[in-house]
Amino acid sequence: MKKHWIIAAAFGMAVSLPALAQDKVKLVDVVELSGAGATAGTNWKNGIDLAVADINAKGGILGKQIEIVHYDTQTNPGNTRAAVQRAIDEGTYAVLGPVFSGPIGASMQIAQRAEIAQLVGGEAAGLTKQGNQYLFRTSLSQTAAMPKIAKYLKDTVKAGSVAVVWVNNDFGKGGRDAIIPELEKAGIKLAVDVATEQGQADFAADAIKVKNSNADAIFVYLNEEESARFLRAAKQQGITKPMVGETTLLGAKVIELAGDAANGVKGHVGLSIDAPIPAFQEFGKKFQAKYNYVSDHNGMKGYMAVYMVKWATEKQKKFDKKGVADTLRGATIKTSDEPGILIETTIEKNGDLDRESFLAEVKDGKQVITATLPKINP
Amino acid sequence: MTAPATHSAAPAARRLSLPAFIDGTLLTLVAAAIILWFVPSGMGRYGTYVLSLWLVMSVAVMGLNLTLGYAGLKSLAQAAFMGIGAYATALLTSKLGLNWYASFAISGLLTFSVGLVLGFPALRVKAHYLAFVTLAFSTLIWLVLRNEQWLTGGVFGLSNIPRPSFFGLKLDGALAFHRFVVVVTFLLAVVLWWMIRSPWGRAFTALRENPIRAASLGIDTRMYTLLAFAIGSAYAGFAGALYAPLVEFIDPSPFSLSQSFFLLLMVVAGGAGYLLGPFIGALLGVVLPEWLRFAGSLYLIIFAGIVMLLLIACPQGMSGLLERGWNRLTGKTGGSR
Repeated sequence: MKKHWIIAAAFGMAVSLPALAQDKVKLVDVVELSGAGATAGTNWKNGIDLAVADINAKGGILGKQIEIVHYDTQTNPGNTRAAVQRAIDEGTYAVLGPVFSGPIGASMQIAQRAEIAQLVGGEAAGLTKQGNQYLFRTSLSQTAAMPKIAKYLKDTVKAGSVAVVWVNNDFGKGGRDAIIPELEKAGIKLAVDVATEQGQADFAADAIKVKNSNADAIFVYLNEEESARFLRAAKQQGITKPMVGETTLLGAKVIELAGDAANGVKGHVGLSIDAPIPAFQEFGKKFQAKYNYVSDHNGMKGYMAVYMVKWATEKQKKFDKKGVADTLRGATIKTSDEPGILIETTIEKNGDLDRESFLAEVKDGKQVITATLPKINP
Repeated sequence: MTAPATHSAAPAARRLSLPAFIDGTLLTLVAAAIILWFVPSGMGRYGTYVLSLWLVMSVAVMGLNLTLGYAGLKSLAQAAFMGIGAYATALLTSKLGLNWYASFAISGLLTFSVGLVLGFPALRVKAHYLAFVTLAFSTLIWLVLRNEQWLTGGVFGLSNIPRPSFFGLKLDGALAFHRFVVVVTFLLAVVLWWMIRSPWGRAFTALRENPIRAASLGIDTRMYTLLAFAIGSAYAGFAGALYAPLVEFIDPSPFSLSQSFFLLLMVVAGGAGYLLGPFIGALLGVVLPEWLRFAGSLYLIIFAGIVMLLLIACPQGMSGLLERGWNRLTGKTGGSR
């Protein structure tokens, strides 16, 4: 008899669940929580959790609370595809992630076929060149960032030749392929082209190669931990030429790991909690308070991704999956309309972004923003 | 020497008055293929995709099971062979416009030939030393896949890999392609089942148990060592030829050395030397982590815990565990593989 009551209670709960679910909007984040992309993926996930907590505390999106689910991709294309498919089968309102370009390439057709917006953290230039109308970046692409760096190398550093050090993965190779033509256009000679491995521990040989090239400046495009190791090796080899990089080279993690060797490093930064924008700094404080470490650009990207979805939903005044992508495409999100976007952001028709970015330098173990660069199409 | 793989099931089959060549393993394969044909109808695209991925990985594990489980040769290059098959199929179908069936055959031939060549070191070195040789080969293939961008797309990989059609019937949909994978996997499993029952299979097992005695019985150990490597590699090539159109995108990461270790784990956890072991091993490796997703960020820890407990409880893997249970039920003492 007791069994019958249990079954009846379970049935009752099952029937009432859809009613509860109606008060929520489900977002699935598909991200690298293990494997090679775990550092970036964890930052991205934490940024998303922070945004969801903020939005839910303020009443949710159009009165609905966000239910967030994270699926680990193990940084593997096959698993990423399964996770994105699962997200769509489970009725996600939009797909958030992944961060690495390879897994994005493996999964973007799934969201495209389902006509659901996918907001990704990848920076590889090729992603938005495939005509996918449902893919949106949360960071500047390498094609947007590299011309700014080439200009900086030519006008400010006044370099006639540059050594390029890059990590041989989709991120590093994409950056290397984007900077070299820009250097050529600027009339800067490529002194030496040094490929390094992801997870490489010893950079002494690479530092010697760079030193022997006698380049006027060094462009470093490595992941965080490798950047720190390279900077230490370069210091040991007595390299004194300007070190220039993009976002990762000047990140908090690199400064922490490289110590003194990071001082004097300069470069272009897409997103940084140290930028002279109060909303960025406010985000940085909230992130640090919640997770007890400093957010990198991936944390900010994850945070903004949720707000992009919120803005598009409130703009269309209803929950329409396809409408999210249609609304985002070609839109400019102003901080006055949606403070959570942190900085005015224009989303181009192909899913690329345009927004202000920054020049920075590491001084006394801290990233200092030295200039704010305007949008490409203000 | 262990009893030959198939004979113990034969008396039972005769009792049921089935032809002598039919045994429990074959009946299981047929029943599983029928179930897998219909099962995804009620599943979403995700469930169907995971089932397909499981079968594709099973094919690669079947090959490694032949090399390691039957012939006792420790190879760490299975994922690299899978990569060769996947890239060959992707390039032939998407760049040269060749149909999938021809690409599948070429992928198998290519990996068979490379496997044959890699088998030569196995004639001179054994155990850990052989593992190191295959490890070096695996790294070499991964470097080629990653660095030869003009051919393989390098770190950016190859996208938009087409799915095959069957007599004009397009297999682009998740369910249609899954059924196609079921048929191909079934055929490959039946070929292996036949091979294991044949004198070849007995020769492979003899090679594993005692190579010197095998040689004294007149088995050409040199040829069978090479064949075990080559056929095992060809199965990895076939798995790659199915993987590329399944994911529709490939880059070097699924074919790295760590994936070869993962395939090795699937062979061991499923039960090395058991014909159905690869399916159970791939189920543990591919489907179990998906089932454990409800546990959130703890899912990989739980997965690792389950695998460790399993191997402590039964070093022969899941198949060994099932066999022990079956023997206890039926009061048998021997084992059938």
